[in-house]
Amino acid sequence: MIIQKISRILSNFDNILPLFAAACAVMSIITLISLPLAYHEDQLYPKRIVPGSTLNPYDRGGPPFTQAEIHSQYPENSPTAGYVTAYLTPFSLFLSEYTSYMGTTIVAHPGGILDEILYNTRGLDTVVEPTILFIAFAIAAYIFRKGGDE
Amino acid sequence: MWNEYSFGLAIAFACALIGFAALTRERDDLHKLLLIDLVETASLAVIALIGTDLAEALILPGLVVGIAELLALSQIYLTKEGYQQNPVKGLNIEVMMRSPAPVILSTILVVYGIILSGFTGGGIAGLGVVFFLMSRSFTGDFHVLEIASGISWALWVAAFFVFMFLPGWWYFALLGAAIGILLKVITKMSLVGAMWGETE
Amino acid sequence: MNEIGGAPLFFLEFGDIVIYFSPFTITLFLLALVFSVFVLVSRPERQIDIAFGADAFYAKVISLSELKFRRFMSIACGLACMGAMVTGDLFDFTLFVSLVGICNVGIVAAVKSRHVQNAAYQYGLVALAGTVPMFAAAAMVAATTGTLSMLELAEGTIQVPLAARALLVLGVMGEGMAPFYAAKAEMFRAPGAPYVIMCSLSSLLIFLRVAEVILVL
Repeated sequence: MIIQKISRILSNFDNILPLFAAACAVMSIITLISLPLAYHEDQLYPKRIVPGSTLNPYDRGGPPFTQAEIHSQYPENSPTAGYVTAYLTPFSLFLSEYTSYMGTTIVAHPGGILDEILYNTRGLDTVVEPTILFIAFAIAAYIFRKGGDE
Repeated sequence: MWNEYSFGLAIAFACALIGFAALTRERDDLHKLLLIDLVETASLAVIALIGTDLAEALILPGLVVGIAELLALSQIYLTKEGYQQNPVKGLNIEVMMRSPAPVILSTILVVYGIILSGFTGGGIAGLGVVFFLMSRSFTGDFHVLEIASGISWALWVAAFFVFMFLPGWWYFALLGAAIGILLKVITKMSLVGAMWGETE
Repeated sequence: MNEIGGAPLFFLEFGDIVIYFSPFTITLFLLALVFSVFVLVSRPERQIDIAFGADAFYAKVISLSELKFRRFMSIACGLACMGAMVTGDLFDFTLFVSLVGICNVGIVAAVKSRHVQNAAYQYGLVALAGTVPMFAAAAMVAATTGTLSMLELAEGTIQVPLAARALLVLGVMGEGMAPFYAAKAEMFRAPGAPYVIMCSLSSLLIFLRVAEVILVL
């Protein structure tokens, strides 16, 4: 009897999202109860903020075309890790030498620790990510065009 | 021991709890979508709490996944509710249709975006293209844009393989990836702009 | 080191993300591969409605564009499954699972029926909500252990918090929710049977893999 009741509730797909959300809410409470968690101090790619550097908050650790030291998971798998971190485009080199605003635009320029992680050491993540975007876009475009036919 | 990390987690999960609790009660489909988008922010907060450079590199994929699914779902919502009988037909402002101002503004945005390059550059250049398409109610074929998008994706994957198998050529891989992402973001954004302003 | 799925046979290194093939993961990988090939070569089911009281029947027609789109989505889903089966990085795993989730939405949403689209929308919402606990779990593992690599985590030197494991399972359940909808009669009666099966298969595969991941952690 109970199983019948449950399956009747589950078979209405309007009920599944509230059910899942309730499960997530309960899980959030359990997580809150299980707190405090210890923070592991020896992290990968630790954040270093060098006081006074014009490159803050993304100090790149070295002049271009030298290998900066980064703490990756498997350094032996990425022998050139560190070059991208240290690289500055000529334009961003100019910005960093004459202004102190480079830190705010640094994500926009090729090079830097984020590009090192995104393209080099964790490149597969970044390949999967645009694939998700591409699939989502394909769905949206297909449904959009199909709606136009009607 | 209540360290900073645990405090942060407590706040993030309290936010997630509020969002999920609201989701269990919400019945309207559009509001459900908005609420989930809100809850997504809590998960980004949990990622950010790692507090290293890795966290920033993980937030980007996390954010993109959320945006991508939001894009697909909102289109499904529109079709499901039958809201696409009245497409928005451009901005239809006479001054913008005639004057050269949109061209100049778009050109500035595109050039600036190309100088910036990378992800943000793509966003800015794409904004320029969107603005231009919106103001001119462009009706061309988008095949070129789709091809450009495909090429940029291939460029990016090629850069990934160079990084992995020919690490000595890292500089070419870096520039290839930067140009690839620039093209990709531009084309994606201009396609969105074109979809928005399409006429019958 | 915990070896739930047998000793890894060989590794494929992509920087920090190491793909490993153990007897368990290689079996699941081959299963996903075989089904992707089946989807590639199979023709969709043609449904026939018999007209009562007469010697006649109606055949439902599936448009070519719909067929192509759903086949594309199914193959993408198969590829995503293959990735999720063998990846050795926790965050990469969550991304692959999200990809499986959105492909499943695509397979279902392509059907031109309001009822089915409503179901696809509800499923998409669950899949989107499922990314929240999944990413949170991966981030908590990274913060408390300092690594995301399953091979490092399998050493068992640092305990992964129980809450993170539970969140991961919950998130994967959200992404793999499609069969609950696909099992509905309306959904299976929608034309294009082999593609809907991909939904069920991918969910089964990611459930099997997440069990291994949880045991390894």
